[in-house]
Amino acid sequence: MSFTTANGVRLHTTALGAGPPVVMLHGLLIGSLASWYFTAAPALARTHAVQLYDLRGHGLSDRPVDGYDTATMAADLAALIGDRPERVDLVGHSYGALVALAFARAHPDRVRRLALVEAPLPPATFADEHGFLTAGPDHMIAALPPGLREAIAGGRRQAARLLATLRALAYETTLLADLRAEPDLDAAALAAVTAPTLCVYGDRSSCRPAGERLAAQLPDARLALLPGGHYLHLDAKDALTALLVEHLAEHGDG
Amino acid sequence: MTLDPATAAILATVERLVIEVAGDEITLAGPLTLTTSFNADLELESIEFVALAEQLQAHYGAQVDFVGWISTKQLDEIIALTVGDLVTFIAART
Repeated sequence: MSFTTANGVRLHTTALGAGPPVVMLHGLLIGSLASWYFTAAPALARTHAVQLYDLRGHGLSDRPVDGYDTATMAADLAALIGDRPERVDLVGHSYGALVALAFARAHPDRVRRLALVEAPLPPATFADEHGFLTAGPDHMIAALPPGLREAIAGGRRQAARLLATLRALAYETTLLADLRAEPDLDAAALAAVTAPTLCVYGDRSSCRPAGERLAAQLPDARLALLPGGHYLHLDAKDALTALLVEHLAEHGDG
Repeated sequence: MTLDPATAAILATVERLVIEVAGDEITLAGPLTLTTSFNADLELESIEFVALAEQLQAHYGAQVDFVGWISTKQLDEIIALTVGDLVTFIAART
């Protein structure tokens, strides 16, 4: 296993394949680099140097008390990418997509192409969408999304470990407060993103209006809808993978 | 069932690395067998399964292309993987 200290945090990283660089960012809470490792990453690794990492507080990375705002997490990403001559492609799911977007706003000259999967806007709605976070430690399981609740209902070890992770993030870090304080992105903020951007959303996802807004307000973006909900890498694994492969294969200055 | 020595050696390595990534309480219910399921029996977390793959890759080297193997599988197949599936995969490439 590989670890890299970036922005003062020890991050678990996995590198797959060879070729032009792409960094993939997972979503919060139940996400980890495994979200991409078992879905779209292996296919992209046939033609790209794919960098996966566990966001701070997640997977095998350190869990600092604070710094879960997109600006700090984009600084983690900047430190992880480091100084390199070539631009990188970024793929993010959910809050990981917002971190990728924050990086692309701060460093438009360092991003070649961007893929935003189910980025929630306004960012603060993420906390509301995930009501289980505010349900209190004893009610967290009952308030989990139905699919996840059923998946862990009969579980023992996995359920216990997932709950321990959720509780630690919700009650021992500033993650929830950071999410709620995250400012919305208006058209002026999005205008800074120059990279050609693919927005992928689930046709049944409550985040879908965010995709429509991003596609309309980002300077060079298109929206693709796939059958599924928020966890699109699971609901539409093959279709999402094909879209990502196609978007990142496109050549030219974009 | 008696395993041939090569299979037994791979099984022992897989068990050692599973314990390394998930802790030794993972085998409290008994030693790993070829029919042990990573998800249903061991209840490995997905990130622990990644860690196991990374340790296997480090141990066996590039000829055991775990990610290439995974890329050919559907999610339900990955969820259903057994120790025996992994041992068979490794045995064919070492």
